[in-house]
Amino acid sequence: MIAVEKLVKSYHTNRVLHGVDHAQQRGEAVVLIGPSGCGKSTFLRCLNQLEIADSGRITIGGVTIEGGHRPRTSEEREQQRQLRIRAGMVFQQFNLFPHRTVLQNITEAPVVVKGVSPADAEDRGRALLAKVGLEKKADAYPAQLSGGQQQRVAIARALAMEPQVMLFDEPTSALDPELKEEVLRVMRQLVEEGMTMIVVTHEMQFARDMADRVLFFDGGLVAESGAPDELFSNPQCERTREFLRKVTTR
Amino acid sequence: MNDSWRLSRLVVWKIILLLLLACGTPPTFAADHLAEIKANGILLWGADAEGGAPYVFPDPDKPGQLIGFEVELADALAAKLGVKARMVQNQWDQLPPALERGNFDIILNGLEITADNQQHIAMSRPYFVYAQQIVTRKATEGLTQLENLKGKKVALMSGTVAQRLVEKMGGADMRIYPGDVECFRDLKAERVEAVVLDLPMALFYAKPDAELKLSGEPFAPGYYGIGVRKEDATLLLAINQAIEELAADHTLEKIYRKFGVWDQRQAGLNDYQAEVVVQKKAISTIREWRKYLPVLLRGAVTTVELSLLGMVLAVVVGLLLALMRLYGIAPLRWLARAYVEIFRGTPLLIQLFLIYYGLPELGIRLDAFLAGIVGLGLNYAAYEAENYRAGIQAIPHGQMEAAFALGMSRSQALRRVILPQALRLVIPPVTNDFIAMFKDSSIVSVITMVELTKVYGMLAMSTYDYIGLGLMTAGIYFALSYPASVFANWLEGRLRYDHR
Repeated sequence: MIAVEKLVKSYHTNRVLHGVDHAQQRGEAVVLIGPSGCGKSTFLRCLNQLEIADSGRITIGGVTIEGGHRPRTSEEREQQRQLRIRAGMVFQQFNLFPHRTVLQNITEAPVVVKGVSPADAEDRGRALLAKVGLEKKADAYPAQLSGGQQQRVAIARALAMEPQVMLFDEPTSALDPELKEEVLRVMRQLVEEGMTMIVVTHEMQFARDMADRVLFFDGGLVAESGAPDELFSNPQCERTREFLRKVTTR
Repeated sequence: MNDSWRLSRLVVWKIILLLLLACGTPPTFAADHLAEIKANGILLWGADAEGGAPYVFPDPDKPGQLIGFEVELADALAAKLGVKARMVQNQWDQLPPALERGNFDIILNGLEITADNQQHIAMSRPYFVYAQQIVTRKATEGLTQLENLKGKKVALMSGTVAQRLVEKMGGADMRIYPGDVECFRDLKAERVEAVVLDLPMALFYAKPDAELKLSGEPFAPGYYGIGVRKEDATLLLAINQAIEELAADHTLEKIYRKFGVWDQRQAGLNDYQAEVVVQKKAISTIREWRKYLPVLLRGAVTTVELSLLGMVLAVVVGLLLALMRLYGIAPLRWLARAYVEIFRGTPLLIQLFLIYYGLPELGIRLDAFLAGIVGLGLNYAAYEAENYRAGIQAIPHGQMEAAFALGMSRSQALRRVILPQALRLVIPPVTNDFIAMFKDSSIVSVITMVELTKVYGMLAMSTYDYIGLGLMTAGIYFALSYPASVFANWLEGRLRYDHR
């Protein structure tokens, strides 16, 4: 489902990703953990082309993009669009469209990008809102919602494009503790439904409970990976041990 | 509340305004001005050197110095009074009110001795006999008499005898210009078919010009006289005597021959008989608002058309420029930036002149209305571009990323996500600019558009009621711009999405 080969990304002279390899099965839920600045967010943003990798290759759902440059031809741009449609993204800051109602936020992309009829998009949008427990907020504006509600709308918005993979970039980091749970509940539900996911998070409990595999990122590389039980109880690498000690005693 | 009460309230306002105006006026209303001139040793004469050849104009060889037959006449006149002459620059069609205000002592600038001109100021005996002349392009045939000009586009200078003659005849498509140079320019650009103006200007400009010709014989002769404030009776006597002496000793002939404006008609100077001028009653345009308001409102229609269409152009071009600057490839970014800097950094007046008078030389001939819209629109586009740029940059970067992540292309993201948010942000500054343009549009009168401010100027010139007309005109501007700001407020409220 996902194959990443030798992904390299630098900002000016600062190399953030040092040739990351990653392969992921359909239905697998992967959690990325690691100290800040280790490259895990950059890795995620490269996957759906918000950052253009310097080199390496990304394949998602059969669409492959080589790093090295921004898309130049219309063919390359179409390729990039196809990749993005296959990968739904949820941001730390939600990034809902403030000038659109909740329902319009969800129907916008299916109608504009996929050409779904507005009526069909609305039906599906309401169903997705029900799924995240916000069917009553369809006509509200984002500013009228709490952070947790906004993030649930953002998840519904990404799901509306029927992605093959869902990417979560620290989805609960901007939320008050009491609001994190409602978002994590929706994410757990997605894992149980067999959604292929990559989640960058500091929620160790979520990683422990829900991940099929945990990747520990350090210094722009995957330092260690494994099933959550192994990795959390018996980390092999000194850096992993150190990191886990810090986050668990916090 | 009856009418007379309302009127008296207006009178009170007029008095207040008059007092305010008076504060800025130097106290020069002494009884005997001649004594003061002699004491100071300087005779201040008002004239307009812009396009003023052969009367008063900058020396082409020494642009800092004025020459012309009236310059030499002023010197000769001052010498007779035992003083030195000094010219005061003033827009030609506003010379009489400026004289009354006390900006200078006399008007010496081709001012015709007419009943209209003698309503508010006194005029000396004539120093020059002029006539009207029709000027056309070389190839034009048959426009040799005033009657031939019916149904034609005719260029005339604001406030001249020619304007009054053509107006009185009726049936011609009159275009009013601030000066003679612009008249001839548009004649050559084929925007008009003929120019009617005083003979000396025709002789000086049109006769040596291979593209133009004097069409038909001069007609409607009249006299140029020197304008003096009515209370300056002794000054007027002294000037009359001086003119008589300068005519008798052939000084006038010498000066006029030097500038090529001497002809046999000047013999008529000696036959001059002053006519008794019937004084018209002072006009209160506010009392007669039924007559004047509709004329002003017709001008206001042009103002509204110009500023609405100009703003549409500004908003569209401005948006393109902002998008080019923010998202374009390097040459487009550079171009958009240069556009903004150049159009924002140079005067609108110059831009209008270049568009209206300059472009025809490159073969692009816009009529005055279109040139006005293009000039206003392109100038304001620079400001609108910056408004949009600020608005777009105020939208958080995450919005564009979210749109991209959902598979939108850049143009889809701009149209569906970024611009709807940015446009709401820029409503207040754009409204601000619209109201500013609404008032700035008066500048297009320099390219012959007769809009509200120009109508005000022309009516004020003929009625002398600067205050009454001024209040009405200002009232119209306000009555039109205030609803625009109310509408903008309403629109801003409608487009709110951050309600909690």
